[in-house]
Amino acid sequence: MHVIFGAFPFMIDNVALLLTKTGDHLVISLIPLLAAIALGVPIGVWLGHAHRGEFLAVSVTNIGRALPSLALIAILIGFVGIGMLNAMIALFLLAFPPILSYAFQAVDSIDRDLTRAARGMGMSPGQVLLKVELPLGLPMIIAGIRTSAVLTVSSATIATIAGSGGLGDVILNQVAYGMEGVIAGAIWVAVLAILVDQAFALLLRVSAPAGVRQLQSANAM
Amino acid sequence: MTQHSTGTSITFDRATKTYPGAAAPALDALDLEVEAGELVCLVGPSGGGKTTALQLVNRLVDLTSGDIRIGDRSISDQSAIELRRTIGYAIQQSGLFPHYTVAHNIATVPTILGWDKERIRTRTAELLELVGLSPVETWLSRYPAQLSGGQQQRVGIARALAADPPVMLMDEPFGALDPITRVAVQDEFLAIHRAVGKTTLFVTHDIDEAIKMADRIAILKPGGKLAQFGTPSEVLSNPADDFVAEFLGSERGLKRLALTTVGEIVPGRSDRASAETAQWPDVEATMTLREALSVVSAARAEGAIVHKGGNRLGEVSLHDLIAPPVAVEDREGVRT
Ligand SMILES: Nc1ncnc2c1ncn2[C@@H]1O[C@H](COP(=O)(O)OP(=O)(O)OP(=O)(O)O)[C@@H](O)[C@H]1O
Ligand SMILES: [Mg+2]
Repeated sequence: MHVIFGAFPFMIDNVALLLTKTGDHLVISLIPLLAAIALGVPIGVWLGHAHRGEFLAVSVTNIGRALPSLALIAILIGFVGIGMLNAMIALFLLAFPPILSYAFQAVDSIDRDLTRAARGMGMSPGQVLLKVELPLGLPMIIAGIRTSAVLTVSSATIATIAGSGGLGDVILNQVAYGMEGVIAGAIWVAVLAILVDQAFALLLRVSAPAGVRQLQSANAM
Repeated sequence: MTQHSTGTSITFDRATKTYPGAAAPALDALDLEVEAGELVCLVGPSGGGKTTALQLVNRLVDLTSGDIRIGDRSISDQSAIELRRTIGYAIQQSGLFPHYTVAHNIATVPTILGWDKERIRTRTAELLELVGLSPVETWLSRYPAQLSGGQQQRVGIARALAADPPVMLMDEPFGALDPITRVAVQDEFLAIHRAVGKTTLFVTHDIDEAIKMADRIAILKPGGKLAQFGTPSEVLSNPADDFVAEFLGSERGLKRLALTTVGEIVPGRSDRASAETAQWPDVEATMTLREALSVVSAARAEGAIVHKGGNRLGEVSLHDLIAPPVAVEDREGVRT
């Protein structure tokens, strides 16, 4: 028990260290996450708009689920070698599937009657996408990013194995920081993941289009 | 009311659709002309090709062979997107955009067409009045989720009418409404149709709805073949084949009576002894013969006394109701 309590004095004594490591940690998580968004959202949205590639979206997700991040890193060390790039590739591969499949689902699952009405009134495919599919799909697209963000931030811990720093440096280095340090680092990462999750929860609420929010609150009552 | 176009005909010329991979056509060489200003109901069993026929017109589905013309112009002469902007389209469940307000929904096509704000505002207000949603301010900024099914359907009709298209396509627009709301919206739509005179192709699988609304009814049978095309009374009096007869149902005779109102057959003079009519129930001139028959039957009487706005018009006997003195066919002049 005293070890857990010991974690808090450790945090106070090592604020500077933890903050630096947090900075590294966020950079290591953020770059792969942004890359996954930049690639996954457009591909997913496009496939959903065309109602094609369900197979692709689903298989990518399943492969993503089947490969634990630790195994990914181990495999990648074999290919790319140790280092920051290696860790980021692993995290990208982790972040990409949920973003892709949520973006696909978000657009693909929009009521066909709605898109049929939109096309029937003379909207061009681009207008259907921008005026109907994206606004209505946005909350689900963001939900995918949220899942990946939490996954990336928590998994970045093991990036240390690939030698790229971050809070994993503290957590996986009991020799230098003691048990208090390990636990302090773990709590810190957990809190970071929760903060990221909550930030996206907020974004999610704001992103729901007004009429749809009405619907949600009406149903909730 | 600024309604400009009075409608343009829609002509199906051996219009055929076979979906990829399907062995048989969903719509088989349909020949049909919806005249300018006419309301034609397309009825038939589920899978009979009604929706297919409708979507061929606005090119949501492509013809396999044959042609469809609006006015003199083949639908293939212009881009599908341009074509659709000149056709009003309303579907079941209204198809309203949940993230758009009522005003925004109605403005969909005018916005695409680049109308200026003021024109859109005026038009939106005018349409809401037309579909019976007034005062307009109450409705403009509501979202579809804040409307009842009937109100959503009214907005759906307003949206379809927004850019004043000469032609309207409606795919079971009232299919999801409860019976009472349905009758109310049907009545309103009929009134609107008479006021604006748009050529309308209206899909329904409810034969009673078709009898009530249509100038002419087109009945499709399985395999997408046209079984019969005629006025409600023609179809009810002379079903073309067993399929049509069965589709119209065993109450075909009664349904035919629903085409005529009591006011249309009541004789101007009264030649009956008051003792005879003393026990007869009262009916309104606007009631259909079928409804009046129901009233008479419930009262176990031999006839009914017809009123119009409190004035006694005359009496109709049970025999008048069952075999109306004015042939139902003669009403066609009245319908069109
Ligand atoms: N997009 C499509 N691809 C393949 N087959 C289709 C497609 N749309 C409709 N069909 C088939 O064409 C036939 C006619 O369908 P359609 O939707 O026109 O019928 P409907 O008369 O509107 O039926 P309902 O009353 O159930 O709406 C059906 O057998 C249907 O399965
Ligand atoms: Mg249909």
